Amino acid sequence: MTLLALSFGSYLFALWKRPLLVLGLILQAAYIVSRGAELGRLPLVGPHDTIAFLAASIAAFSIPFGFAVKNRNSFLSSVAVVTAAFTAFSMLSKAHNSPLPPILKTFWFECHVVLAFMSYALFGVAAVLGSMYLKERDPVHEGLQYRAVLIGYCLFTLSMIFGGIWAYLAWGTYWVWTPKELWTSILWVYYSFQLHARLRPWWSGKPMAYLSIVGFAIVLFTYLGVSLLMKSSHSF
Amino acid sequence: MTGEDTGEGDRLYLPPSPSSARGEGINSMKILRYILNFFLSLNTTLWFLGLLLILFFAGAFIMPGNRAFQQLHSIPLFDWIRKQPVKDIWWLLGIIGVLAVIAVNTIFCSVDSIIRKRKVTHWLLLIAPQIIHTGFIFMLLAHLLSAFGAYQKTAEVRAGTVLKISEGTFLIVDDIDINVDYYGYITAWTVDVTYTKDNQVLQTNSIMPNKPSVFQGFNINVKNIRPDPDKAALLQMNREPGAFWALTGGILFIIGIVILIVLKRKIDK
Repeated sequence: MTLLALSFGSYLFALWKRPLLVLGLILQAAYIVSRGAELGRLPLVGPHDTIAFLAASIAAFSIPFGFAVKNRNSFLSSVAVVTAAFTAFSMLSKAHNSPLPPILKTFWFECHVVLAFMSYALFGVAAVLGSMYLKERDPVHEGLQYRAVLIGYCLFTLSMIFGGIWAYLAWGTYWVWTPKELWTSILWVYYSFQLHARLRPWWSGKPMAYLSIVGFAIVLFTYLGVSLLMKSSHSF
Repeated sequence: MTGEDTGEGDRLYLPPSPSSARGEGINSMKILRYILNFFLSLNTTLWFLGLLLILFFAGAFIMPGNRAFQQLHSIPLFDWIRKQPVKDIWWLLGIIGVLAVIAVNTIFCSVDSIIRKRKVTHWLLLIAPQIIHTGFIFMLLAHLLSAFGAYQKTAEVRAGTVLKISEGTFLIVDDIDINVDYYGYITAWTVDVTYTKDNQVLQTNSIMPNKPSVFQGFNINVKNIRPDPDKAALLQMNREPGAFWALTGGILFIIGIVILIVLKRKIDK
């Protein structure tokens, strides 16, 4: 927990000293590795571990994007705020320390979860770039936003495929009608809409930025809202 | 649904009708042209994706509070739909209708794109969105096949239980083995089964977590298991006719996106 607290501090101070974002990421990665070693499994069950992983993924993906944006300080400051907020939320959530049910001990589950959170992180980076576009109107941000969404969409689709394979092996069906699956479909259709809308001039610029921001709000509801409020195979 | 390469607006395939022509032939040509324009348009894609989102949103709030949806897994979707009142499933019917329009839209746009841009230099860039679209169509086909022909039955079993699969064919539960750790958590389990036909052993299998037994196109999984008071398991027999198409569609979809990402990166450089 000390490592997580230190990474939270690093993210906060990254608002003034940007390189501290990298230190925060290293500390958070060390925390995730130590949790994995302690539990003897991939530490990606329950809000505590998954949100820590999400924060680390956002920080990790923001680094390459940080090299491409013109106003790097503003971008990294926004990322620092987001990662610090998620890390704080992770620290406040109860850690899931019990052994995994046998059904979750599979490569397909691990890939499904890792890819899902990596895609969420990229959608988060796209939302940050979208908010920067609204402030600065720099077309570079729009291009980077598209790239983040496209790669995120690819990883999200891959996560759904791995989830389908896992569900087929575990329960004999690749699709289960639960609120989580419906919200996952909403997310997938939403980003399909965004990737297609980009081809129409009317949607470029401000509307595209708003789409990225709203998209991340749907991501957060799909992840946290559905898992906490609705009964499904993905409930916490 | 249109891909990266069809953002130039709507195209007409049919030539305009001669002004001198009259009668029903002209009208049917106009209607045909209107239908073609409709299905070749990116606006159709966007409007119907938007409509699909609204219907999914509605369903996401209606479904959790409705008990009827708990039985949705036990019978094929279309059989289930026939038994439900429209007021509960209007959104699901809407989703099916909208997906049908999007599927036709996807096929029309992909064919149109290939015809129009067949001479481009970056043929991979042309073909990548069409691979994605083909994957999407296969995924829809998978859901359609499963909606018609999925099958699911459950049965509680113990060692020695005999289940009839079909006339003369039986599943015999040989043994149930459950590992429980010091704290009482189940860490592993195995259910040994034998299939027989006319008293001849056809196949023996061990069902384990994420390792179902496959027999004559059926998947036999353990849905639930309990060590006390006596070892018992809830076996689930499934048939998913869409599984192969879903996987094929998923693989094609990913191949298409990866090609698109790699080529876009190269072109940007």
